Amino acid sequence: MSDIANKPLPVITDLTRPFWTAAKNRKLVLQKCQRCEVFNFHPKPWCIECGSRELTWTDAKPTGTVYSFTISRTVAMNFPGWEKDLPVLLCLIDLDDGARMYAQVTDCSPEDIRIGMRVTVHFEDISDEAGIPKFRPT
Amino acid sequence: MRGEVAIVGCGRTPYSRAKPGEPVLNVDEYIAWAAELALQQAGMSKNDFDGQGLGVSHAEVAHTVNWSAATAENLGISPQVLIRGDQGGASASSMLIRAAAMIHSGIVDRVLVVGADTPLNIPSVAPGLPLSPERTRGVYWDFQGPFGVMGATAQFAQVLTRYMHEHDLTHEQLGKIAVTNRFHASLHPGAIYRTPFTLEDYLSSRILSDPIRLLDCVPIVNGGLAYIVTSAKTARTLTDKPVYLRGFGESNNYYHGSRSLPDITTTGFSQAAPKAMAMAGVSHKDIQFLQPYDDYPFISMMTIEDYGFCKKGHGGRFVEEHDLRFDGDFPLSTDGGQLSGGQPGGANGGFMPLVEAVTQLRGEAGARQVKNAEIGASCGFGGIPYGRPGRSCISLIFGTEP
Repeated sequence: MSDIANKPLPVITDLTRPFWTAAKNRKLVLQKCQRCEVFNFHPKPWCIECGSRELTWTDAKPTGTVYSFTISRTVAMNFPGWEKDLPVLLCLIDLDDGARMYAQVTDCSPEDIRIGMRVTVHFEDISDEAGIPKFRPT
Repeated sequence: MRGEVAIVGCGRTPYSRAKPGEPVLNVDEYIAWAAELALQQAGMSKNDFDGQGLGVSHAEVAHTVNWSAATAENLGISPQVLIRGDQGGASASSMLIRAAAMIHSGIVDRVLVVGADTPLNIPSVAPGLPLSPERTRGVYWDFQGPFGVMGATAQFAQVLTRYMHEHDLTHEQLGKIAVTNRFHASLHPGAIYRTPFTLEDYLSSRILSDPIRLLDCVPIVNGGLAYIVTSAKTARTLTDKPVYLRGFGESNNYYHGSRSLPDITTTGFSQAAPKAMAMAGVSHKDIQFLQPYDDYPFISMMTIEDYGFCKKGHGGRFVEEHDLRFDGDFPLSTDGGQLSGGQPGGANGGFMPLVEAVTQLRGEAGARQVKNAEIGASCGFGGIPYGRPGRSCISLIFGTEP
């Protein structure tokens, strides 16, 4: 538990709770605009494409493509609990539903990570209330 | 609005890395120090700003609410108008535009603009770099910190990785920017790191977050800066070296492509720079130096591209083919940049390109003076949006003539 405690935990609000709860239950959900059908991420107060406040948490496809990546070799501007995970393979994932997400890619060596790599979501618990999505090569 | 306002004084305090034994100044003290330097250069006193304007940039260090009014209280100035800079590294530039509009409309004649921060005094759980409480609250942080995003270096590294995937760019080309910045810093007594290094030193510096290495990263300092802007008419009564604001352009929350899946390799400078140059009535060949927001070499390189000095994707080649030194054919970051000069907090490094542009056009840059400098450009670049490079991009064109 001490390692988990040394990583930041989100402050869960009514806006964001469905995301964290779903991840705890091994599901990826995103806000989908009921007017223009665009998936928004990270959570927004209204759709950033059309301005509709009718955003509904919706099951998202569990797959995506690596848009970009970095291999963090030191902990900077984050909590020391990440130290034991270095190097951290942090990516921008273009989800198949059309939203982009920062997420760790696991089960992949730093030498093998590539833009365009197909990845599939998996989840890790970070607290009693929240899970977090990570990805691994498909 | 071309040439309607001018900068008549600037101040930049010595910076501190807060080493043991150094005096620890607070943010109010740095603001007063920077303001004093600007007032001295302009030949003015604080009382000249009663009933006028005061601009105050954001500070990340703990400060009270109503920060701009509290700063007026600390300085003993009773301004009519307060301007609050809230655009990170674009704040110094955005406050100049706001001040110019206020002066243009006749509400005030002059504005004192100040900014300081003491990030190294912020207690932080993070190793190495300060992680202020305001950075770790809200949805923006909740969807990055717990996901493993390691600050600006990791955020910018993703932009650079993508850029290098789409375009030709070598580490040697980026290294040339870093080496030139350090060379300029060696000629600037106020820069925090002044010992020149070689391209080999750059290439062998350790990788922090691929493809960004140690010598790509801006060092954080404590410090303060200030400038004074007045109507052109008043400026001419104060100094024989007014530096006129000839043009400006601003772009906030720019997306290149769709909002959901944008191309992150083009910045808002692609919108802001053409506007600024059109207002100024200048073309690229008229611009004698560029002071980008130079916290990472590839940000400088992307700025060169998005200003249109070369085609998109040719920035690396452009850097390779031009002499970036103060006496070269494309003087870049002639003060040493933030990269070697130091960044006094995330919001106030943005004063540095502006102050250096003014210093060059006043002909007061000493050993790094660009010869016969009459027209130059500077940049504000502030904030890092989720998954993209820069929230606010501001282009300014200055000249010795209106």
